[in-house]
Amino acid sequence: MALIQARQLSKTFSGKAAVQGLSFDVVPGSVTGFLGPNGAGKSTTMRLMLGLDNGDGVTTYDGVAYRDLKEPLRHVGSVLDAKPFHPTRKAVDHLRMLAVSNDIPMTRVTDVINLVGLGDVAKARPRTFSLGMGQRLGLATALLGDPGTLILDEPANGLDPQGVHWLRNMLKMLASQGRSIFVSSHLLSEMALMADHLVVIGRGSLIASGAMADFISTSNRNAVVVRVDDAELMTRELRVRNATVVAEPDGALAITGMDSDGVGGLAHELRIRVFELSNRQATLEEAFLDATGASEEFRASMGFGPGSGPAFGGPMAGQQGYGPPPGQQGYGPPPGQQGYGPPPGQQGYGPPPGQQGYGPPPGQQGYGPPPGQQGYGPPPGQQGYGAAPGQGGPPPHEDHDDPSNDRAPNGGDR
Amino acid sequence: MTGALKYEFMRIRTIRSSYWMSGMAVLFSASITTILAIFVQSANVDETDVSQVTTWILTSGASLPITPVLAAPFYAVMGCMAMGHEYRYGTNKATLTAIPDRVAVLTAKAVVLLAWVLTTVVLTLLLNLAITWLFMDNPTFSSDAWRPVLNYAGYCSGFALAGYALSAIFRNQVGAIVTVLLWPLVAEPIFYGIAVGIAQASNRGIGKLTNLLPASAGRRSMFDPYDLSVGYGTDVSVWGIGTSAFVFWFGVLLVIAAGCTAFIKRDA
Repeated sequence: MALIQARQLSKTFSGKAAVQGLSFDVVPGSVTGFLGPNGAGKSTTMRLMLGLDNGDGVTTYDGVAYRDLKEPLRHVGSVLDAKPFHPTRKAVDHLRMLAVSNDIPMTRVTDVINLVGLGDVAKARPRTFSLGMGQRLGLATALLGDPGTLILDEPANGLDPQGVHWLRNMLKMLASQGRSIFVSSHLLSEMALMADHLVVIGRGSLIASGAMADFISTSNRNAVVVRVDDAELMTRELRVRNATVVAEPDGALAITGMDSDGVGGLAHELRIRVFELSNRQATLEEAFLDATGASEEFRASMGFGPGSGPAFGGPMAGQQGYGPPPGQQGYGPPPGQQGYGPPPGQQGYGPPPGQQGYGPPPGQQGYGPPPGQQGYGPPPGQQGYGAAPGQGGPPPHEDHDDPSNDRAPNGGDR
Repeated sequence: MTGALKYEFMRIRTIRSSYWMSGMAVLFSASITTILAIFVQSANVDETDVSQVTTWILTSGASLPITPVLAAPFYAVMGCMAMGHEYRYGTNKATLTAIPDRVAVLTAKAVVLLAWVLTTVVLTLLLNLAITWLFMDNPTFSSDAWRPVLNYAGYCSGFALAGYALSAIFRNQVGAIVTVLLWPLVAEPIFYGIAVGIAQASNRGIGKLTNLLPASAGRRSMFDPYDLSVGYGTDVSVWGIGTSAFVFWFGVLLVIAAGCTAFIKRDA
């Protein structure tokens, strides 16, 4: 039941820092989730903690470094790879081999192989194992010495839903026995159910460390949501009281900087009818994306067209994002000026006066069906493939604060 | 260290390739020995040559330059697998979390590999001895027969250790196997040809450099002293058996030192 203390862990690859000055604790009796975007340095950190990589810093288990532990498998169990075994060595022999190195009784081999549900295939060769079975054998390896500490890198990868459920319950059970469980995973929903504490890193540096509830509470996606009959007045009055208001696409207002009692009281004071008043709690995923948005090593584009840009979060640390330079005007119209549409009295969309537009030249056939023939639409009187009348289609435009929404459809300012 | 030795002994015993490689080494040695014994049985061997022929058969032909040592590549591949499997299947992390002391891991691997290879070589020699007694009417062992026999065991062990060290250097089993097989079969003959060609054309001194080719030196260390210069011609002054054995082991130890340093200093 060891307290893990990682101090100033650092590692560079070819001059590039993979982990830098990382310090955190993992307390006994808890499952501590280890989160970070791809390339954040999670696996490198775990290898540093186990003395597998040469780097700076030190990790101690109840004050003792890993390489100084006598019979380390009895103190720390770990899984770092999905299938870390020889494909033709029997599963039971793989465990026996590790057991003899740490003077672990052979009866324990049978115990753990049954515990992870591989009793029926104990004498099978792992080359026939699925990824999930490989993960289970890896877990059996970690549990072999009945250690007080478990370090697991993505242990749920490849497990089926039953396997994930089993893993979650087992780790919580092991933690309840006073063990320290340190587990990385990309399955944030799973981590939300499993972990008590979190260590969040990005680009090799610590972003957050502590209780999960505290981490989620820092998300700016926590808000009071209110739907009222006079959103304009409500917004104005909230801003007067220094609350931040974001208009939601469905007409609701998301408010931060004021609690629900205050919002309800204000609505009452303004004699505004309230249709909905609720607290919106950020999920772990939202909090994680908020916290690590600037720390992504690799990011994908969401697509093209309006709204395209970084998949999640903002620009990389220290880099300029897609918005206008600080203090400069973005693509929207200057404050107080006319948005959408041509200036009053000027020509809007369409050909200049006297010029030919996009239609067919006068006297020629356009793209429609030949006269008297049926086109591509549904037969007269029948419903086509489009949405039913009144359904589907984009919602009416809302007045978002995002200046990019003020951009003219043709890309120019108006 | 005890834990590391137990681990490595269990490791080598629980993979089929250990038995395949050892079995093939014994089979090839016994086959060569049987062919040589049948050949000698039907030949009219001079009385004075009987002891030399007996050693030739006993060492599966290793004591004469004309016969290849077919068992050595199998031991070399075993050595490559001792370390190469760790990288190929990613078991090095499991190994080093069980035994964080890398020097202990390296030592245990070398000791167990050496013990396994030497045990197999002794079995091979005993089998060869039985075949010798079976086919030869009056086998005679000279007082110098121990030397080719000992160097035969050393040659096989050296190749196994070289394979083990090359895997640690390359962190790649296939690369290590290719290198340990092609070095004696391709690289050294090419260098030898070039050096002897230069020696014959202009500079006789450069021919001496061929004595420094470790695999060739190892092969030469098993020869009967009588046959030491066979195949080398007059343009090369060939070093003695003891010196050749030293050159072979110096080369092997150099590769081992590089491999161990790489294993200790690198990330797992």
